[in-house]
Amino acid sequence: MKQAIELIINGETYDLIVTPNVTLQEAIREHLGLKGTKAGCEMGTCGACTVLLGDKPILSCITLAVECQGLEITTIEGLSEGPTLSNMQKAFVRAGAVQCGFCTPGVILSSTALLKKNPQPNVNEIKKALEGNLCRCTGYNSIIEAVLDAADPSGHLDHQQDQEIKL
Amino acid sequence: MNGLKLVGKSVLRKDGPDKTTGKARYTVDVDLPGMLVCGIKRSPHPHARILRIDTSKAQKLPGVKAVITGIDTKGIKHGFVETPRYLPDQSILAYDVVKHVGEEIAAVAAINHEVLAQALKMIDIEYEILPAVFDVEDAMNPDCQVHIHPNHPRVKENYCNIAGKTQTQWGDIDAGFKEADLIHSDRFESHLRTHGYMEPQTAVADYRGDGTLHMWISSMGHFNKRKKLARTLKMPDASIRIHKAYVGGAFGGKIDLFSHEYCVAALSIKTGRPVKYVASREEIFIAYRHGQPLISEIKTGVKKDGTIVAQQLRMINNAGAYKGSGVVIIFLAWGFTMIPYRVENFKYEGYSIFTNNPTRAPLRGHGAPQVRFAIESHMDIIAEKLQLDPIEFRLKNARVPHEELPNKDNVHNCGLIECIKEAAFKTDYTNRRNLRPKTDRLDDSNPIKQGIGLGVSAYFGGSLIYPNGSSAIVKMTDEGSVDLLTGAIELGQGSETVLCQIVGEELQLEMDDIRIISSDTATTPPDIGAWISGMTYVTGNAVREAAAGVRKKILQVAAEQLNEKTENLKLANKSVWVADNPEKRVTYQDIFQASITRQKGDTIIADGHWRTMRDEPFHPSLASTKGRWTENYAFSVQVAEIAVDTETGEIKLLKATTVHDCGFPINPQLVQGQIDGQVSLALGHAFMEDVMMKKGYTLNPSWLDYRMPLIHNVADSKGVDVITENYQTGHSFRTKEVGEGLVSAILAAIANAIYDATGLRLYSTPFSPEKVLKGLKQLKKNRGLL
Ligand code: FES
Ligand code: FES
Repeated sequence: MKQAIELIINGETYDLIVTPNVTLQEAIREHLGLKGTKAGCEMGTCGACTVLLGDKPILSCITLAVECQGLEITTIEGLSEGPTLSNMQKAFVRAGAVQCGFCTPGVILSSTALLKKNPQPNVNEIKKALEGNLCRCTGYNSIIEAVLDAADPSGHLDHQQDQEIKL
Repeated sequence: MNGLKLVGKSVLRKDGPDKTTGKARYTVDVDLPGMLVCGIKRSPHPHARILRIDTSKAQKLPGVKAVITGIDTKGIKHGFVETPRYLPDQSILAYDVVKHVGEEIAAVAAINHEVLAQALKMIDIEYEILPAVFDVEDAMNPDCQVHIHPNHPRVKENYCNIAGKTQTQWGDIDAGFKEADLIHSDRFESHLRTHGYMEPQTAVADYRGDGTLHMWISSMGHFNKRKKLARTLKMPDASIRIHKAYVGGAFGGKIDLFSHEYCVAALSIKTGRPVKYVASREEIFIAYRHGQPLISEIKTGVKKDGTIVAQQLRMINNAGAYKGSGVVIIFLAWGFTMIPYRVENFKYEGYSIFTNNPTRAPLRGHGAPQVRFAIESHMDIIAEKLQLDPIEFRLKNARVPHEELPNKDNVHNCGLIECIKEAAFKTDYTNRRNLRPKTDRLDDSNPIKQGIGLGVSAYFGGSLIYPNGSSAIVKMTDEGSVDLLTGAIELGQGSETVLCQIVGEELQLEMDDIRIISSDTATTPPDIGAWISGMTYVTGNAVREAAAGVRKKILQVAAEQLNEKTENLKLANKSVWVADNPEKRVTYQDIFQASITRQKGDTIIADGHWRTMRDEPFHPSLASTKGRWTENYAFSVQVAEIAVDTETGEIKLLKATTVHDCGFPINPQLVQGQIDGQVSLALGHAFMEDVMMKKGYTLNPSWLDYRMPLIHNVADSKGVDVITENYQTGHSFRTKEVGEGLVSAILAAIANAIYDATGLRLYSTPFSPEKVLKGLKQLKKNRGLL
């Protein structure tokens, strides 16, 4: 039985007609073509599909689109504005916390949610917040540095090349 | 100050903004109008004869656009290795016998996933189950009743299921052992792990009316893929265009031609519509290629003073159902053995054995971690037996600069000795080793035992594999910026950043002045691919040569414009000026215009080419190891500091120190990123990851049950480089490798650290809590403590 739903993604309202078994991930990637949200497993084990529901990170591959009727969702595309990256996005570039980049949208959204709740997290709090996001490339060291830097840019990371971090 | 502008600096990643904002496009993101989805029907049995395949019901299902089976692909063979000795042995789709669970039998193209799932279910296959063999030693036993393939015709030994053999020797092994004061033998085993790339295996094909096939593939080298696709599809190379897409990790798992890549192409040709395949994570775990478990038997003869006088090795690889890279790893394992230490008398035999398991692939280091684990554990055992300091023992046998290796390669600037000394110094290794007698290590009241261990690794960069070299083109634009055309593929290692740094250095440009057009087989020149750690070295040098060509032309035109000799000119900030008269200058923009107006329309463009071993036409022999390999050997020493909880058996890697000679690091931040990633992979290897297989079936086909390191497992990781100054003279810098084999010693270091902490010597991976507890219990029993 198809259902008409309304999703508010990155502040814009989209009308969709979906069957109840369509996941939020499918709705975002396949129906709306927002490919920044990734799919690494489609079984809730990797975090690549993380999006924000309100301020809360959720796994879009195990969330049904119909459950999100009328709710506000932020995807990775919603963090930057024109050529300007968000502070968290910039920190990831600065710290070299991106390699293949496939985990990156999910990790950045989880990290963004953390800083909203807790603007000065310690390393343990960062680990807790990112425990659902797998990254096979970085070993996580640079990811922790990126989040620390986003929280407190006066840390040890070099900010000299900052004006170059743009789209 | 080394006078370099971009090279040697942690320039920010060129792909950083795209990848952090969701703009980066991967193959899984490719959507084309009218695109069909492809699915693959796979064998549920590890060994069975196909008696009948009935696709008629599936074919009639509305929404199914095409079905292909082994009948359509009969006779087409492909393999990781395709040489006269090792002929391709895999079918695209099986038509008579399936030899492992997950083997491909039919492929379907349908309008959506619901129809596809239904169609796959409707394909009816009747099998006759055949006996199967899974354990490598059972399979090679002469009495084994299961013959997966006939033995390799050139290997005459009385074993079964031999896929291939590598053997070599030098010196006089018997005389060597006679000279020895101590002869010691060990046997080590490593287990099955997988790559864990985040982007699934995926491919898109779009066959267009003009006879060209457009593809997007999550791959590690488009030119090699294209060659294999062209041969199997019987199309000219030039009719196949593989487009650029970012790759969401590979780690060795996406090199070979995969059945699904052929199938999307064939289905697109058949239907005239674009076709896309994305493997599910479960399929990747069950049917795709994992790494390589190895058995290493080592016997070494040593003199009292620590000189190694003889070494004999026997390696056995469980290759799975087809040769895959199994016949390569037994060759490479010899290399990983012989590079770091001098052994005058040596004998090596490596066997690759067929079993009814999925075929294997390289996995970051392609055997280096397993081999170094065996050898470095063995070195520590011998050092203790001879009461030698393990550092001194290694230094005594370590290769020295400009030494010739047994295959006649030269190690050139080899920093191994510096690495060993620096690693020992940086970690205060000798003082921190547990010097208490072994028997005391277990009876402290504190159950947490700390330990430190060390391992050595070395790798050869950029060895030959099709297309055997890389080319690059640099061309100037109207505004005096440049375009770099390279076939190099960005899969996370930072190739695009590094290559732009090299161009920027040569032409004194900013990173923003360089656009990179990459990994597109129609528009970019051939590239060796992102394997055997050759990218920075091979492609890097091709790019540098191309940029140097542009520099030369810029200077030539500027010399004419300024009426000066080229030697008197300097270039920076997109202009050229006379060294002692900076007022006299022309901009790159003007130079470009002048080149076109004055030089019969010549634009400013240049190409560059590079390959290793320019005077060697062929690859070394996989069977005999004869033939030279590369001029590019890199070395490292890694030290692991760990804590063992003797009550739970759990081990934590606290700190990994990597001291390396990776040549001149073009981008230190990227180098550190490679080290961190490899350390993380190694700690997964050591403590967590295990593809558990029973009778050819994967028991843990998800990341819930196959545990990869999470952020909680992060280890402190420090990189230190040595002899970097040897690789730079003026503006010239020499690169080596860093991504895989170079940093493959941490597993060995962990094993040695466990021994240091507890007195427990582990001979097989993983170092799981069960194994540790069992071992500790046994130790206590042996010492009368229980
Ligand atoms: S794709 Fe959703 S958790 Fe992996
Ligand atoms: S950057 Fe590749 S998985 Fe995280």
